[in-house]
Amino acid sequence: MADVNMTLDMVQASQVGMKAIGAALAVGLTGVGTGVAEMGIGAAAVGASAENKDFFGLGLLFTVIPETIVIFGLVIALLLLF
Amino acid sequence: MLTAKPMSRVLIVASRDQAVPIIQELYRGNLFHIEDYVEQGREGYEGFKIGTPLEGATEASTELIKVRAIENVFAIRGEDIEAKEKLGLPQIRSQIEKDLPGIEKEVEELAGARSKLDTKVKEYEQKIAELTPFLEIPVDLALLKGFRHFSVLAGYVNRNVSLIVPHEIQVVKGKDRSFVLAIVPEKNRAEAERLLQDAQFQAVTIPEENGTAPTRTAYYTEQIAALKKDIDAINIKLAAIKESHTGLLVACEEAFRAKIEQAEAPLRFATTSKVFVAEGWVPADRTKGVSEALDKATGGKVFVTELPVDPVHDAVPVEYNNPSFAKPAQMLMDIYSRPMYTEVDPTLMLAIVFPIFFGLILGDVGYGILLLIMCFALRRVLKGDDAREFLVVLRNASISSIIFGILFSEFLGFELPWAPIIFSRHLNIGGTEAAGQGPAIAELMVLAIWIGILHITLGRAMGMINHARQDHGAHRVKAVLANLGWITVMWGILVGIWSMFALPLMPDLSKLPVVAGLSAGLVIAAILIVMGIIFIVRDAVLEIVELPTIISHVLSYARLVAVGLSSVAIAMVVNYMSIGMFIGPGLKNLSILGIVLIIVGVMVFLIGHAFNLALGILGGGLHSIRLHYVEFFTKFYKGGGRKYIPFGMKRRFTED
Repeated sequence: MADVNMTLDMVQASQVGMKAIGAALAVGLTGVGTGVAEMGIGAAAVGASAENKDFFGLGLLFTVIPETIVIFGLVIALLLLF
Repeated sequence: MLTAKPMSRVLIVASRDQAVPIIQELYRGNLFHIEDYVEQGREGYEGFKIGTPLEGATEASTELIKVRAIENVFAIRGEDIEAKEKLGLPQIRSQIEKDLPGIEKEVEELAGARSKLDTKVKEYEQKIAELTPFLEIPVDLALLKGFRHFSVLAGYVNRNVSLIVPHEIQVVKGKDRSFVLAIVPEKNRAEAERLLQDAQFQAVTIPEENGTAPTRTAYYTEQIAALKKDIDAINIKLAAIKESHTGLLVACEEAFRAKIEQAEAPLRFATTSKVFVAEGWVPADRTKGVSEALDKATGGKVFVTELPVDPVHDAVPVEYNNPSFAKPAQMLMDIYSRPMYTEVDPTLMLAIVFPIFFGLILGDVGYGILLLIMCFALRRVLKGDDAREFLVVLRNASISSIIFGILFSEFLGFELPWAPIIFSRHLNIGGTEAAGQGPAIAELMVLAIWIGILHITLGRAMGMINHARQDHGAHRVKAVLANLGWITVMWGILVGIWSMFALPLMPDLSKLPVVAGLSAGLVIAAILIVMGIIFIVRDAVLEIVELPTIISHVLSYARLVAVGLSSVAIAMVVNYMSIGMFIGPGLKNLSILGIVLIIVGVMVFLIGHAFNLALGILGGGLHSIRLHYVEFFTKFYKGGGRKYIPFGMKRRFTED
């Protein structure tokens, strides 16, 4: 990205910007991934707990398993930014 | 602690004429978990049949249904009612005979009358709805009916229409559609309908009324008001009955329920024509008391004995055995699953670790105090044991939140007057943060990872204990070693990482002496990992595919920091927006615009923090409990234990 005409300050600023975009992509895309994964599980879990209340705990557990994906994204974003 | 309450299996044998005192005594004791007798020819039970209910079961059931019907009318629920005084059984019995039939009749009549009036109101409202389109038509509605040579067409169209047939038309313009009332000769009706159809005509039936629409509407409105007045009068009467008889109703329900449960108990016993046998479970330390009480109640005409217990194969009912401060956490355990009789009960660990995790995530003095206030406020609203337990869990979590808030030096996203005592979570949002004092992300992450490593190691250690206790023969050793294997693989990977990289808060092994071209740390790591894998494979080869979960589960604990930081970020952004963008400029320039800016700023502040607090409770609670359920429990916990439900009742409104 570094152009011949760019000063050092500009290059540094653009690197900071790139980092920020990377962090945003990390959180955003993993969030979408988590959402897609939880969509099916959540619907099924709600259905199951409507039939049998005892399933609530297990259903919650299944539903939050893909949450890890977005947490990884968040971790990467934080490591990128700080 | 850490195991379920020890239970003994008790067998009660007596002649059938002793059934009533024995059942009464057991019910009063509220300790005997009845093992239902099933007729499937169990050894030693040949010729036994399921018993028959005691006298009075049917009558009590009918009465209970009636009482519950009244309670439904009043929307009374026993759990929600604070028990004031306990009524004695004789008093209740006399009141049931004297007052209850009268109350039942009155309530039934009033409720019936009210539902009739409600139907009438609905009917009139329907009529008003039918009349609404005709409000602008200044014609008696009776005049729109009964023609032989003309047709009356009424309905909505969504654009202007011009009927080319001979007609009389009245159009009432509406917002996005117009109401049309057209009168056409009968012979042109088909043509007119077709033309109207082109404008998406939706026909409306002409109400069967005499008089113009506005007068009829006014008439019905008046009628509804009168009916509503009647309904209000009935409601006041019902409220008076509710006021004066709630105590009696809940007491009656309890009395009838107790009676039915006792009367139906023989259905769970094994009986012959002369004797009955009841089998069940009693907490081991109470067995003696139960047996003595039964002896006393029957005058010695009962045989009570303890049977041998096989803890693994008998489905022993499980009662928690926790110190009182850990009791509320049992609710969180029950959501997952009750522990089995033989396995380690992790409630105590959950009770200690859950608030710590919550505090780490939502470490903010302001939010903690708000949550604490919310807990105490909800205590007045929410009744019932489950809600109480939940509130205690929330209270502990919010106290932990305050403590961590002091350590992190955070108050609603602002900095408290001291520097963070542990690691800083202050982000540099809007340039408010002093230079060189950014968040200690790397340290916080490593701290979270450490927590994960220790938590998972603890979980695996429990797995070893569980397998050592439950399994038999060769499998026991294999399963215990497999759990040890998981621990060594994890620590092997750690040692390997330590010998390659120098990380904050972690030991640095990269300086260890190099032996034969290999770093000592790496050699130890390799030994640990290989040994662990051998242990795991010896137990189950397919477990190999689970090896990556070692890393993913440990990294999952990073959420303790990540979710917390996101909550800090939202709080700081809210502060920056409300103060930096609205209140600050508003205060500088105190004109009308300035005051508006300040009001907007305060709104942003309040809504933003309310939103963040809601997210914080959800995030802090769900993620903390999830770390237990998914990362911790899967290492050792099976659950699926049978709940200990003693025969009897905690009497709240009545007493023997």
